[in-house]
Amino acid sequence: MTRILLRNKLDDCIAAWQKAGFSVLAPVRRHEMSSFGEVQKASDMAFDLVLPERTIKDHFFPQTEPLIKYKISKHQIDSETMTPPDQKRVFFGVRPCDASGLAIDDPLFGWDYKDDYWFKRRENSVIVTIVCTEADDFCMCTSVKLSPDSAKGADVLLRPLLNGAGWQVEAVSERGTALLETISPLLQENSEPTAPLPQVAEKFDVEKVMEWLADPASFESQFWKDIALRCVGCGSCTFLCPTCHCFDIQDEGDTYQGIRRKNWDSCSFANFTMHTSGHNPRNTQSTRWRQRIMHKFNYYRGKFGVNSCSGCGRCTRQCPVDMGITETLQAISTLPR
Amino acid sequence: MGIQEQYRSEAAALLSSGEVKLVIGFGAGSTADRRRPLFARTPDEAQKFVLDAACIANLSTYLVTEGLLSDGKKVAVFLKPDGIRSINILISEAQLKPEQVVILGYAIENGKEITPLEGRNISDFSIGEQIRSLTPPPHILQEAERIEEMSATERFEFWKEHFAKCIKCYACRQVCPMCYCRRCIVDVNQPQWVSTSSHTLGNFEWNLVRAFHLAGRCAACGACDRACPVNIPLRLVNYRMGKEVIDAFDYCAGENSNQKPVLASFKQDDPETFIL
Amino acid sequence: MIYSPFPMRVVSKRAEAPGVNTLKLEFVKEEDHEFFKANYKTGMFGLYGIFGEGESTFCVASPETRKEYIECTFRQSGRVTSTLASVDAGDIVTFRGPYGNRFPIEQFEGKNLLFIAGGIALPPTRSVIWSCLDQREKYRDVTIVYGARTVADLVYKNELDEWKKRDDVRLVLTVDPGGETPDWQDHVGFVPTVLEQAAPSPENTIAVLCGPPIMIKFTLAALQKLGFTAENVYTTLENRMKCGVGKCGRCNVGSVYICKEGPVFTAAEVQAMPQADL
Repeated sequence: MTRILLRNKLDDCIAAWQKAGFSVLAPVRRHEMSSFGEVQKASDMAFDLVLPERTIKDHFFPQTEPLIKYKISKHQIDSETMTPPDQKRVFFGVRPCDASGLAIDDPLFGWDYKDDYWFKRRENSVIVTIVCTEADDFCMCTSVKLSPDSAKGADVLLRPLLNGAGWQVEAVSERGTALLETISPLLQENSEPTAPLPQVAEKFDVEKVMEWLADPASFESQFWKDIALRCVGCGSCTFLCPTCHCFDIQDEGDTYQGIRRKNWDSCSFANFTMHTSGHNPRNTQSTRWRQRIMHKFNYYRGKFGVNSCSGCGRCTRQCPVDMGITETLQAISTLPR
Repeated sequence: MGIQEQYRSEAAALLSSGEVKLVIGFGAGSTADRRRPLFARTPDEAQKFVLDAACIANLSTYLVTEGLLSDGKKVAVFLKPDGIRSINILISEAQLKPEQVVILGYAIENGKEITPLEGRNISDFSIGEQIRSLTPPPHILQEAERIEEMSATERFEFWKEHFAKCIKCYACRQVCPMCYCRRCIVDVNQPQWVSTSSHTLGNFEWNLVRAFHLAGRCAACGACDRACPVNIPLRLVNYRMGKEVIDAFDYCAGENSNQKPVLASFKQDDPETFIL
Repeated sequence: MIYSPFPMRVVSKRAEAPGVNTLKLEFVKEEDHEFFKANYKTGMFGLYGIFGEGESTFCVASPETRKEYIECTFRQSGRVTSTLASVDAGDIVTFRGPYGNRFPIEQFEGKNLLFIAGGIALPPTRSVIWSCLDQREKYRDVTIVYGARTVADLVYKNELDEWKKRDDVRLVLTVDPGGETPDWQDHVGFVPTVLEQAAPSPENTIAVLCGPPIMIKFTLAALQKLGFTAENVYTTLENRMKCGVGKCGRCNVGSVYICKEGPVFTAAEVQAMPQADL
């Protein structure tokens, strides 16, 4: 026997969490875009999405984040450090790839210097993952050694019931256990079978890819120049990626006051590494694409023991010129060696 | 022989004769309904070209890639009428030399029929009449009319909701053949004209700056609209700006390559309604 | 909190060369100063900033033996450095750091030291030079080779005079051909050539080499010709940075994060990096 949450209890569930001080965020369709947004009732949620277009990362590492407020006068500067809101949040219906993305980025944001903006939000949030029952042509979690029912990054794991009436519920962290306690009257014992997982074919051999990337000779391979020819150098793949974490710090205001902000930035942009002198270590799109792939499947692993990709496939799904990690890694894993 | 085979062998011939150094066309994409840009430098590679009704991207954007045409050699490119229109604009703005571009023209009719267009040089194509009469797809037109009927407040809300989604990935700029500036205004920081932050105000700044920069220059190919990962209906913005320029200056961008850019020219009878 | 800088008061500003200034900064808050004193080692860098303009990365030019003030020397080039160059004594700027690794000067003890710098790269070298000269007894022969494009471009002119006068320092000064003035008494020629002529012994010697990439390349070749091994040559790398603490993702050369694992590397370590990423 396991515990289940019925769909028709979801409104009560949201109310119980709100009463416990949480705001509830779930996949929503708003203004012709799908993303995670705050919901008040179950009918606000978009359950039919394989994956929202925007990642859950937006709510942990927002596209623009105020860091410091400042006021300037002669010989006097007043500055005030800004902190993210204290609001406790439940993220309901997160896909395993997006939840994994958070777990993948944790060690980076904690690397010696703790990024309080990330961790404060992480500590305030409970992740309720819903296991996938559908995948599309771009899903590739299995290729990066994750799966449609991975519990990585999750606090609670929900498995859809075969009859569609609800979800089997399992706490996978202490925070998850505590969250389930707030809705325990709404859960019931049941042994309904769960829906089968989707078949997500392995699209490349990630071990072979890592081996090739680790070979110093690969850095200057012609491969990069050929694969990146059609890359237009926009930032959509990086901004829609659940693990891409690069940012810029910018001051914004008038002569007397303003805000220093942490803004998303992208290794795809030419300006990203441009020195003031005009020298640019990564001055072509191919060197920038190489950086992105190397960073995800070589450098990051070297530092934190994990690849910086959770297989959501958004990079390819949304690319204006149909590029992406899948194609590149497929090509690498079939290179003659 | 179908158009795909015909253009494959034509591309191969252009490459093997050395007339062009590169052919930019379409290849198979990552799914059955996707096509991706394909760059062929050898006759063999030209055999991979695909040409069908899914080939909707405007490949002229690659012609303004830094350094591509600086050696004076020719490049061939697969183009629909909107791509040919882009070439006209780029030539009129002195970004391309007509003799460096070989056009493999095609048109998609009814969303499925694909027909070859006669001619290989930009001067062979007279698309002026066609462009003037070209209306955007019905759903765009309908939406444009709906927005036109809104009150100013409603219209502002409509765009605010859309621009609030912008993440400043600059995909719109990067896929646009007309966004060829080596240094975009948003990348200039002394002074910082446009805020780099992607909050609603910063997003308005960016999208409005881009709309103004494209007024009387847009080829209406819809690339920005398709590229936008957060589904901002950018085509509506550019359609409206294009219409404004036609109405005010009787100027339709890209009718031919001999046009003088509307914002770079002056006529005695230009309207001056904006001068207070 | 991370990314929150220390307010710093400008004590003085000194013009070093055309477009190059040195700022002497003091901490506004005692606790910030205590933190700096406890953590600063020669070779580390910081992000110097002005609210409203942003932050810019350069080394701490003052030695770890003198932590009352922070000195920084920079060329006026971008938005931040242009504003920093316009400050006056009493103005408030910001400092974030010290970040990065350091020159392991305790490992240099008992050895001969050879410092080589080009142009605006004397500041990082100067930090380690004074850190060693302030404990002169721990080190053996000290040689400083410094070159700039022209006489006007030499920085820290007072200190060059001071080093020249000392009998426990050998100072070799040079300017590029054409950069000399009529009364120039020192060498004329590029640093690698002048270095080869000066021929310091590689025996029991550590070299610290800072300069623009092209100078580093040819000077390294000269050092190797003189018999130095890449393990005994230290240098610093600079890249564009925003966070300084390993998060923002832009300063890496291959897998090496300059902000966290650098900026100080041996030439051997630099040679092991993918050269195309430098």
